[in-house]
Amino acid sequence: MTGLSPADSPYYDAEYETMSRDRLADLQLELLTETVAFAYEHSALTRKTWDAAGITPADVRSLDDFTEKVPFLDKDALRRFRDERKDPYGGVLCRDQSELTAISSTSGTTGDPTLVPEVWGGGFVGRPAIMYRDFWGMGVRPGDHVALFLFTFRGPTYGFVQQLGAIPVLFDYGVDEIERLLRCSLQYRPTALYNFGGSMINATEEIAARAGIDPRDAFSSYHAVVFAGEPLGERARRLADAWGIELFEHSNVGDVTACFECPAHDGMHFWEDMAYVEGIDPLALDHRDAQPVSGDRVRCELVATALSNRVAPLVRFRSDDLVEIDRSPCVCGRTHARIWTIGRKGDEVVVQGASVLPVDVWAAIESVEACRLGLFQVVRPNRESDELRLRVGYQDTPEGRLGSLVEEVADAVRAAVGVEPVIELVANEELLRLGPPHKIPRVTAR
Amino acid sequence: MAWGVGQYEVSDRTRVAWEVGHDEIDRAIGAGSTVLAGLGISAGDRVLFTSMLSEAVHFWPLVLATMLAGAQLSCADAARGEARRVRMFTRLLAYRAVLGITPAVLDGLDELGADYTDVLGRVPVIGARPGAYERLAGTGLAPHDFVLAGPAVAIATEPGGPAWVNRDEWELDIDDGWVTVTSRRPRLTGFDRVRTAVRASVVDGHGLVPARSWPDRGPRP
Repeated sequence: MTGLSPADSPYYDAEYETMSRDRLADLQLELLTETVAFAYEHSALTRKTWDAAGITPADVRSLDDFTEKVPFLDKDALRRFRDERKDPYGGVLCRDQSELTAISSTSGTTGDPTLVPEVWGGGFVGRPAIMYRDFWGMGVRPGDHVALFLFTFRGPTYGFVQQLGAIPVLFDYGVDEIERLLRCSLQYRPTALYNFGGSMINATEEIAARAGIDPRDAFSSYHAVVFAGEPLGERARRLADAWGIELFEHSNVGDVTACFECPAHDGMHFWEDMAYVEGIDPLALDHRDAQPVSGDRVRCELVATALSNRVAPLVRFRSDDLVEIDRSPCVCGRTHARIWTIGRKGDEVVVQGASVLPVDVWAAIESVEACRLGLFQVVRPNRESDELRLRVGYQDTPEGRLGSLVEEVADAVRAAVGVEPVIELVANEELLRLGPPHKIPRVTAR
Repeated sequence: MAWGVGQYEVSDRTRVAWEVGHDEIDRAIGAGSTVLAGLGISAGDRVLFTSMLSEAVHFWPLVLATMLAGAQLSCADAARGEARRVRMFTRLLAYRAVLGITPAVLDGLDELGADYTDVLGRVPVIGARPGAYERLAGTGLAPHDFVLAGPAVAIATEPGGPAWVNRDEWELDIDDGWVTVTSRRPRLTGFDRVRTAVRASVVDGHGLVPARSWPDRGPRP
């Protein structure tokens, strides 16, 4: 499979990527109506949740009905259902177990990974979208090499590269693979790299110097370097700029779909024929008092519904993710909405009345040379705390200098958030072990 | 056009880029189906693969053969931090086979305080890589040798027996204790007595028995 559009088109599927908002809304209502009927009929958790709210799919005749009447699901509800009913799929599986091809899992950053049942080649309705439209938009074309710097828990991600007519060059996600990535980049001249986050970019500087490779040469063939999992700090952005890398941010959208930046770099597009995404008041207790946040670029909690998944569709899945959404047209010509991630609602710690999210201390920590990989955790036994406790990763520091390093980090954090932190230093390796490989839990209870 | 570019390890542990063609992968899928059938994997079973992305050229044929057999598959990285995922899978679902267990995964289970027999004891076929084999066997489990010998995958058909590569594709020999690999059919990347990172004895030119590093203490099978 290659593009549905000519090779010189910036769009993989011009018709769908640029369709009018009115037509998109009609398509969404059509897909949503199918999805809710399907999920209510086949998903035990959806039926239980809807029955408790006293509604059926017949009550959903419009997008307004949907947002007013349909109750939320969240990850705790899935885990509860899983444990109570001994259902490993948390009550969302809509197929007979014997029909499944694969059972993958979520990253598990915020708790035990949950299972993701899949039917390869028959689990989705609609047109190819996620990854296909995004990487085509970044300039990947048939015959290109694409470097994949990833883990395996999502299954064979290289399939989309091959479906685009390109050739995957395969690497493990980890610092140990960076030198090989640089050498193979010089050899195969890939046009895209997926997924290369802040810690990897920061580590590349030293590894490239040791290997005698100029990162500008190694990365000169790339049209796009995609990063995900965590925000990118200032240091990594500076390095990427210096090496001539064009970075594209990528994220998960409520465990339902994914989003990627387009070449305009003004938010991450998610494909609205794949998911119906809403923003709600983060403080809402349930769907009855969840005020929709409809203004563009207003902070809200993301709620997502799968429109094309016919294996285990999540309906009104409340993500805990704080985001901003913009549905106005993008200068790239795509009409699908864009999103900006802010952090996780559950990650906020209130210290002496001041709200602190991991993103607020990130730049301060990685500005300290020994902590340049930006590895740290907020230790948060409770949402409200008298002190800001941070566990911070370091490198290249003899034991006798750790006392002054603590002071240096504390000074930087205090200057950033105005709160005196309590710093615990640990070796970077200790934190990296806490994976999943592409990110570490940024908030921990102890 | 190539299917992809993976890597294999040579005797000094260096990783060498390895370009593989679609027809090579197709042949490996066919051979993988035979191997899985020999391990008793059939429709309705489940297989958990523990591998790294750079090993996809080795593992994809087995993944697809699993699907073609009508069995279901799951994936986890063969890494320390993924032990939690491996434990989660085997706790929630019944697997016929877990293939590719590495010492790193076992290190991760140790860190979690998880007993190998609790995590893997209900799994009939455990494919363990060198270093992991000894640790599992030491707890009373009966692993199969599962060895990436350079570009070739060698899998034992029974616990304690030699691990076999596809004899139509690969010929094994020994060079100073290291297993060498020679390709027997045309490939995008040819191999002529390439010294792999595996120390073993070779059986009949296509089987191998890895040199063991038994733990200092504890029982040996």
